[in-house]
Amino acid sequence: MKSKRLAGAVAIAGVLAVCATAGAAVSSTNSVTISVVSLIPGSTKAAINQFNAQVAEFEKVNPTITIKPVEYQWTGPTFAAKLAAGTLPTVFEVPFTDARTLGDNGQLADLTELAKALPYFSKYNKAVLAEGTDSKGQIIGLPKGAYAQALHYNRKLFQEAGLDPNTPPTTWAQVRADARQITQKTGQPGYVEMAKDDNTAGWILTTVVYSLGGRMETGYGTKAKATVDNPETVAALNLLKEMRWTDNSMGSNFDYGWSDINQAFAAGNVGMYVSGSDVYTNLVQASNIDPSIYGLAPIPLSKNPNAGVLGGGTEAVVKPTVNAAQKAAAMKWIDFYYEQPLVSQPRAIQNARTLAANKQPVGVPALPLFNEQQYNLANTWIKPYINVPLAQMKPFTTGIFGQKLIPEPEASTQSVYHSLDAVVEAVLTEPDADVPSLLQQANQQAQQAITSGD
Amino acid sequence: MSDHPSSGLIPPGEWRRPSIRFGVGGAQAMLLLLLVIVGLGPILWLAKSAITPTNDTITHPMGFFTHGAAWSNLREAWVNVDVGRYFWNTIVVAVGSWLSQIVVATTGGYALSVLRPRYAKLINGLLLATLFVPAVVLLVPLYIEIVHPPIVHHTFIDTYWAVWLPAGASAFNVVLVKRFFDNLPREIFEAARIDGAGPFTLFWKIVLPLSRPILGVVSVFAVLASWKDFLWPLLVLTDPSKQTLSVRLPSIQSQTSLGVFLAAMFIACLVPLAGFLVFQRSFLRGTGLGGAIKG
Amino acid sequence: MSAISEVEVEGAVLAARRHRVRRTPLSWIRGGGLSTFLFMLPLLLAFGAFSWYPIVRTAVMSFQHTNLVEAPTWVGWQNFDAVIHDPQTPIAVRNTAYFALLALVFGYPIPLAAAVLMSEVRKRRGLYSALAYLPVVIPPVVAVLLWKTFYDASSNGVFNTILGWAGLGPYPWLQSPHWAMPSLVLESTWANAGGTVIIYLAALTGVNSELYEAAAVDGANLRQKVWHVTLPQLRGVLLVTMILQIIGTAQVFLEPYLFTSGGPANATLTVLLQIYNYAFGNSLGGDYGKATALSLMLAAFLALFSLVYLRATRSWSQE
Repeated sequence: MKSKRLAGAVAIAGVLAVCATAGAAVSSTNSVTISVVSLIPGSTKAAINQFNAQVAEFEKVNPTITIKPVEYQWTGPTFAAKLAAGTLPTVFEVPFTDARTLGDNGQLADLTELAKALPYFSKYNKAVLAEGTDSKGQIIGLPKGAYAQALHYNRKLFQEAGLDPNTPPTTWAQVRADARQITQKTGQPGYVEMAKDDNTAGWILTTVVYSLGGRMETGYGTKAKATVDNPETVAALNLLKEMRWTDNSMGSNFDYGWSDINQAFAAGNVGMYVSGSDVYTNLVQASNIDPSIYGLAPIPLSKNPNAGVLGGGTEAVVKPTVNAAQKAAAMKWIDFYYEQPLVSQPRAIQNARTLAANKQPVGVPALPLFNEQQYNLANTWIKPYINVPLAQMKPFTTGIFGQKLIPEPEASTQSVYHSLDAVVEAVLTEPDADVPSLLQQANQQAQQAITSGD
Repeated sequence: MSDHPSSGLIPPGEWRRPSIRFGVGGAQAMLLLLLVIVGLGPILWLAKSAITPTNDTITHPMGFFTHGAAWSNLREAWVNVDVGRYFWNTIVVAVGSWLSQIVVATTGGYALSVLRPRYAKLINGLLLATLFVPAVVLLVPLYIEIVHPPIVHHTFIDTYWAVWLPAGASAFNVVLVKRFFDNLPREIFEAARIDGAGPFTLFWKIVLPLSRPILGVVSVFAVLASWKDFLWPLLVLTDPSKQTLSVRLPSIQSQTSLGVFLAAMFIACLVPLAGFLVFQRSFLRGTGLGGAIKG
Repeated sequence: MSAISEVEVEGAVLAARRHRVRRTPLSWIRGGGLSTFLFMLPLLLAFGAFSWYPIVRTAVMSFQHTNLVEAPTWVGWQNFDAVIHDPQTPIAVRNTAYFALLALVFGYPIPLAAAVLMSEVRKRRGLYSALAYLPVVIPPVVAVLLWKTFYDASSNGVFNTILGWAGLGPYPWLQSPHWAMPSLVLESTWANAGGTVIIYLAALTGVNSELYEAAAVDGANLRQKVWHVTLPQLRGVLLVTMILQIIGTAQVFLEPYLFTSGGPANATLTVLLQIYNYAFGNSLGGDYGKATALSLMLAAFLALFSLVYLRATRSWSQE
C-alpha cells in the first residue's frame, strides 16, 4: 500500500519533472534574437534614448524576442555592400523605389502570410500597399512612412524681408519673387535647390517638373521611354537659370545634397527649399533647428491638369535569409514600431509619450498610410504630445490633401535622376549653359539606363 | 639643424659676393616665408578655428577670437562626435596592417634572398610584374572576394581582417626588404650555418636583428599608408563603429556644426603631427631613401 | 669572419645536391625545402589571395556580367563596348588628362626650384624640410575637407576673404566647372609637393661637388651651373619622379570624390571616379563588368605609356 503510493508519487514527480524540463527546453528554443535598424549614426543622445526606450517596451510585451538595434545610414555604396555580404540587420528600411526591384530579385523575405494576418491589413491605402508588393504579387514590405515633396521656408527670414510668414508662395512666379526679396533684404539666398551629383539634383528637378505637369518617362520596365527633355523640364531649368543668374537669389553654394541642405536651412541660412515633407525630424535630430523659424508649405502647382506633387516613402522590410521564428519576430517588431502607432490608440500614445519625453518631434505631418479618416483619428490620439509647431505647418497640412499625389518614375528611377544631375549643375554653375543640348544628352543617358534595366 | 653637406653648387667662398648673398639669400628668405605661410598657415588656421565659435568662423574666418574662444568645440568633438573611438579604430587598423606587412615582407624577403629555393626566380618575376600593376585593377575582385570569400563562406565585410590581410600583399615592401637582405654579407650566414643554425634560428637571431634600419623604413611607409588609406576602408568598413577617422569624418559633416567639425579634424591631425615632429629624421630619411631606390 | 668565399660555399652546396640519390619528400624536408616553403608561405598566401588572384579575376570579369546573386555569364566584348560608348567616358578621360597636366605644371617645377634653393641653405635647413613636408603628414581626408572650407564660394569664404583684402572679387572655386579642376590640383599640390622636395633634396646633396668646381673653372655662373651640372646630374631622379607623378595623378580619386563628387556638371569626373561609380554607385549592386573593363583599359594605357616613356627617355639618359 505505502510503497504503491510512494511509487505513484515518485512517478508523478518524475512526469512533472520531465514536463518542466521539456517546457523549459521549449521556451528556451522559443527565444529569438533579431537585429533592427535604429537611427542614423551621430544622432543626439536623446534620440538614441527614445529608441532604446521603445525597444524596452517591445521586449516587455514580447519576452521571447530580443532586439538588437543597429545604427545605419543609407548610402548607395554601403547598402549595396551590406546587401551583397548579407550583413544588413534583420529588419531594415528601403525607399519605395528600391523595394520592388529588391523583391523581384529575391533579396527580401516574403511577408504575405504574416501581413495578411494583421488585424488592420484591410485598412491600408491600396496605392501605398502596392509600393511594397513585387511583380509576383508577394508582399515584401510594409510602409514605414510616406511623404510628399513640400516647400520648406524660413519664417524668420520671411519676416525680415517684409513677407508674411503665414502666406507662403503658391505659384512658382511667387517663389521667384519672394526669393528675390529675401536676398535683397537679408542677403541670404532666398531659394536653394539640391544640386549634388548623388541623384538628389535630378530628384528635385523631377519634383519641380511634375509640379508643372511634365513627366520624365512613359511606359513600364525596360520598354519605358525616357522623356526628360519635355517642355516642362525646359521651363523648370529656365526658372532656375533666372533665379540664379538674373536675380542672384540662390546664394553661392551649388553642391547641396539631402543632408547638407537640411543643415544649412537649420542654421538659418536658407530662405526656401524643396525636400520631403518629413525632413523636420532630421532637422531636429541632426541639426538642432530652432522650431520657431520653420514653415511648411505645399509645392506650388501650375494650372496644368497633369500637375501633381511627387510622393515617395520608405518600406520596412526583412532579410530573406531568416527562419520562420525570426520572420515572425521581425513582423512583430514592424507591427509594434512602425504600424501600430498609426492604428492602435494605446500604442500611439505610448510612442508619442516616449518621443516627447526625449524631446523628439511628435506629430510631424505625414501622408496617410491608411485613409485620411484613420490619419486624423491617430492625430487626435497624440494631440497632447504634439511638440512640433503644427500651426507653422498649416499651409501644408491643409493644402496637401487637395493635391494630386504622383509616384516617382517607375523604371530605373535612380539612373533617370542621375542623368539629370549634370544638367542641373550646369545650369546653376555656367551662365551660358546650353539647356536643349544638355537635355538631349540626358535623355539619351536615361534611355540607355532604362533599356538595360539599370 | 647645424651642419648640412652642401652639394657644392655655391661654394662657401661665393657667399661673400653681394650678388649671391642678397640674390640667393633673399630668395631663400622668401622661400622660408612662403613655406611658413603655405606649409604652416593652413594648419595654424585649423588650430585656431577648432576653438573658435562656429558663427565667428563662418562670418569672419580670418578674425582672431573676436568673441572669445570656444574650448567646448574640442570637448564636443571628443564626446559627441566620438573622435576618440574613430581614432582608436585608425590605430587598430594601422597596427594590424603594419604587422601584416612586416610578416610578409620579412619572411618572403628572407626566403627569396637567403634561402633561395628553386622557384625563387619565378616569384621574383611575379613580384616585379605586380609592382607595375596599378592598384585599381585589383579593386573590384578584391572587394567581391571580401564580400563573398570563396573558401570560407562567411563575409569579411565590417571586419578588420578585410583591411589587415590585403595590406600584406605589398610588392614594394618585399622588394625593399629583399634588396636589403641581398646586401647583407653572406659570411655571417655561412658562419651561423656552420655553427649549426637552422633556417628559423638564422632568421630570428641573425637576420632580423640586422634588419632594423629597413624595418624602420618599411614601418614608416606602412603606418603612413594605412593612415592615409581611404577608398578601401570606405568600401569594406560599412559599420560606423568600426570606421577609421578618414572614412568617418566626411559622413558626419552634415550633422556637425562647423566649429565642432574643425575641432574633430584638428584632433585627427595631432598624432601624425606629433609623430612627425618626434620621428622627423626617419620620415625624411625614409622618403629620401625611397626616392633613391626609385631613382 | 670565415675565410671561405661565397663561391666556394655555393659550389659545395651544388656538389652536394648533385650527389643526392633521389629527391623524395623526406629528402626535400631534410634539405630544408619544407622550412623554406614555410617561410615563403605568408608571401604566397598574401599575394596569391590578395594580389595575383584578383588581377586574374579582373581580366576574367571584364568579359562577364556579374551580379552577386546568380552565377556570372560570359558577354564577350560587351563591357568594353559599353564603356567606350558611354558618353561620360571621354569626359572622364579628358578630365583625368587635364588633372595630370595641371599637376605636372604646378607640382613638378616648383618642388625642384625649392629643393635647389634649399640645398644651399647654410643654417637651419631642417626647418625648411620640416615646413615643406608638414602638409604631407596631414591625413589626406583632413587636408581635402580643410581646403573645402577654404574654397567656400561666398564672400566670407577663407580664400575669398583673403583675396578680398586685395580687392579681388569672390571666386566660385568648386562651384564653377572652369575653376573646379584647378582648385583640386592646387590642394593636391599642397598636400604632396613636400614629398617630392625631400626626394630632390636627397638627390641634390648627392651631386659630386667636383663637377661644380670644374664648371666654376670653366667660368660658369650660378644659372649655368644649375643648367649644365645640377639638372643633368638629377636626370634619373627627375625622369622617374615625372613618370611616377603622371601614373599617380592618372589614378586620382580622393579629391574629385570628396571635393565635388565629380561635379559640377562632370567637370571633375575622373577615370577612377567613373570606375567607382560603375562598381559602387548603384545601391542595388554595381556593374562589375564595366568597372573591371575600364580598370583594364586604364592599366593597359599606363603600361603602354610607361613603355613609350622609358624608351623615349632612355635616349636622353644616354650621355
